[in-house]
Amino acid sequence: MRVKAIWQYGKVYIILLIGLIILSVIGWRAMGQQSFVRTALSGLTLGALYFMVAAGLTIIFGLMDVLNFAHGAMFMIGAYAGWQFYTNPTFLFGLAPLVLALVAGIVVTPLIQPLAMRWAVPARWQRTLRAVVIVVAVILIIVALLGLDVRGLAKTAMVATMVDPLAEATPQEPLAVFWKRPLLFFLAGLLIALAQARPGDRTQVIRSGAAPRAIVALVGFVLLTVAATLTRESGAISVLKMNADARFFLSLAAGALIGAGIGAAIEISLVRPLYVRPTFLILATMGLSFVLRELTQLLWDPLPYAMSRPPLFSQPGKAASILEWFSKHTLTVEIMGVTFPSYRLFIIALGLAMFILLMLVMNYSRLGMTIRAGVQDRDMVEALGINVRRVFTLVFALGAGLAALGGIGAAPFAPVEPVMGDRFQMQGFITVVIGGMGSYSGAAIGALLLGLARAFGDFLALKFSLTPAVSEASTVIIMALVLLLRPAGLFGKKE
Amino acid sequence: MAPEAEEREIILEARNLRKEFGGLVAVDDVSIQIRARTLHSIIGPNGAGKTTLFNLLSGTMPPTRGSVFFKGRDITHLPPHRIAHLGLGRTFQITNIFPNLTVLENVRLGAQAMGRHNLRLLTHSDKYTQYLDQAEQVIAQVGLRGREHMLAANLPHGDKRKLELGIMLAGNFEVLLLDEPTAGMSSEQVPALLEIIHNILTSGNRTIVLVEHRMDMVMSISDFITVMHQGRVLAEGTPREIASNELVQSAYLGALYGDLTAQAEK
Ligand SMILES: Nc1ncnc2c1ncn2[C@@H]1O[C@H](COP(=O)(O)OP(=O)(O)O)[C@@H](O)[C@H]1O
Ligand SMILES: [Mg+2]
Repeated sequence: MRVKAIWQYGKVYIILLIGLIILSVIGWRAMGQQSFVRTALSGLTLGALYFMVAAGLTIIFGLMDVLNFAHGAMFMIGAYAGWQFYTNPTFLFGLAPLVLALVAGIVVTPLIQPLAMRWAVPARWQRTLRAVVIVVAVILIIVALLGLDVRGLAKTAMVATMVDPLAEATPQEPLAVFWKRPLLFFLAGLLIALAQARPGDRTQVIRSGAAPRAIVALVGFVLLTVAATLTRESGAISVLKMNADARFFLSLAAGALIGAGIGAAIEISLVRPLYVRPTFLILATMGLSFVLRELTQLLWDPLPYAMSRPPLFSQPGKAASILEWFSKHTLTVEIMGVTFPSYRLFIIALGLAMFILLMLVMNYSRLGMTIRAGVQDRDMVEALGINVRRVFTLVFALGAGLAALGGIGAAPFAPVEPVMGDRFQMQGFITVVIGGMGSYSGAAIGALLLGLARAFGDFLALKFSLTPAVSEASTVIIMALVLLLRPAGLFGKKE
Repeated sequence: MAPEAEEREIILEARNLRKEFGGLVAVDDVSIQIRARTLHSIIGPNGAGKTTLFNLLSGTMPPTRGSVFFKGRDITHLPPHRIAHLGLGRTFQITNIFPNLTVLENVRLGAQAMGRHNLRLLTHSDKYTQYLDQAEQVIAQVGLRGREHMLAANLPHGDKRKLELGIMLAGNFEVLLLDEPTAGMSSEQVPALLEIIHNILTSGNRTIVLVEHRMDMVMSISDFITVMHQGRVLAEGTPREIASNELVQSAYLGALYGDLTAQAEK
């Protein structure tokens, strides 16, 4: 009875484990220890990256039934943001005041809502009015950007030599010219807030307690905007002066935060109005990913960039063990007789850390419990009094943040280029399908399988001088096999 | 049945509710008044519009026309989660529990969702012990003690229905809308659930609106009954009035029982 129950729950794990062990033994024998360990470690590195993309995809799909085709773009944006922050944060510091000013304007929505809804706008003009207000806001934003050398700011990191970081510091526009820009962005934000307040729509219900929170948010963001405006240059310089390792870890955090922020903005502005039209949602997110890719190309050219590795992973020489690496910070580490780049081990560790963190959040936090419940029955969660909308935004931001973190993690290892998102997105989708839509542990297993399949596929292709397409095909073959045996994926709960 | 039920204040009211799906009118000009601390049943054959009416009352769907008042407040355009926070809870006819959460987690979710700490989402879910205590209490009340750590998916069907009630109980809702809570239960399991529902009514300050197929059950425990047919209210009154209503008798009860026996034979 007991054994039967364990088999019921764990059969997928048990079969996979036995399969992997058998394959490993065969591989070890046939390839020899050196090639086998090296290929396996490469597979784990790839798997960790696939997991970072797939984790967000699968949770977003599970909870909201949204196939987010802009998820790869989040990965790409993370890579660019991290690369910029690490090499030369001039671009990020130059644009931060504008973004903060826009948000400062938007957060006043609950304050103007009570007034705007009482405004006597005839019902048939309400939509038009909102559209006009948004258009004016967009015009204001365009005006605010006139004459600002955004491309120039973006290019600052491209010429970085990293010999003397301070030599990279680039002057920003003087305050006497710049001050109008955040102000116009703030006005644009106010207009967006006005549109959000739906003037004339009396069916809206005012939330008690929303106004005080809006005031706090307004004051907070205005102060942040002012601070960001004043520290455009000094902020970038102090980041550059920082210890490079600290800067690297800070850029992981910055990139993840930027990714999460963009994710939240996308959910609120683009995804939310389209939940009722799932097909449009696929087109919209796909369109958005094209826009983001083209925008990146416009700013940084279609060229691939190599982000330099932080000193922690780039001291010359080889550490005899991982323990020794902790004191020597060498470029490579010897593991089981194989010399392997230490940074790739870091990626594996990052993926593992992300998995553990996600597991803790999903299993033990209230958010996790809400997400697991919402994946199974959204209506019921809402009927229990949980604001599912807010949870959606949070989860979208979380998923985008994870993908962005993966992007920065990948940046010192894979070329930073506009198309990198698409490549990883494809593998991310395959991972999610293999693991089962909505299951993050399925995503982890799927990513592991895919990464290993790619690495061993590449090895075989090289050995027998086949085309590298073999390894690419192997992932699709695994997906087809899994779908044949288990149509909902390995750990899938819904169809 | 409470003797003074007819004098109690109105806690939930629908005024001229209408819901159209394309050309189909699922709910047609329905006005209904629910009095506090009573058990009000809504009966009618499949497709009568009972579930749709629940969807309109709980904010799951917006009505095409008409309005809903809860404790004197217009809640017609409130989103479901805010209506829940005002104290109006509902169950769903089909999927009602979270199968991959444990029994305890299921009930705790109900307790926490309505709690004040709704915003601090990243804190450990066991940290708020008051919810844990409340959950344990409710689990005892619905007779699921000893199964706290079972996955809800592995409960027998009758217990799933009990669990569903437990989730709503933990939410401390003043008014509970129960959509066919006995659906799919065998006739031996029904009396136990009925008793739990009756306990809910008498132990707390609760009001229950019940959608039900089984006529006999509704008759014995309801204070009021509303009969729906093709989206409209066919009759309304105490069980005795409904039982003696000729319109219901001739035009409808026969049809319903026919419908039921047909189902039972399947
Ligand atoms: N979401 C929907 N879309 C279209 N038609 C619906 C929807 N929900 C219910 N209906 C229709 O409305 C009518 C009433 O259904 P319902 O409220 O579920 O009845 P009951 O719960 O009394 O069995 C039925 O004809 C049903 O097909
Ligand atoms: Mg129904």
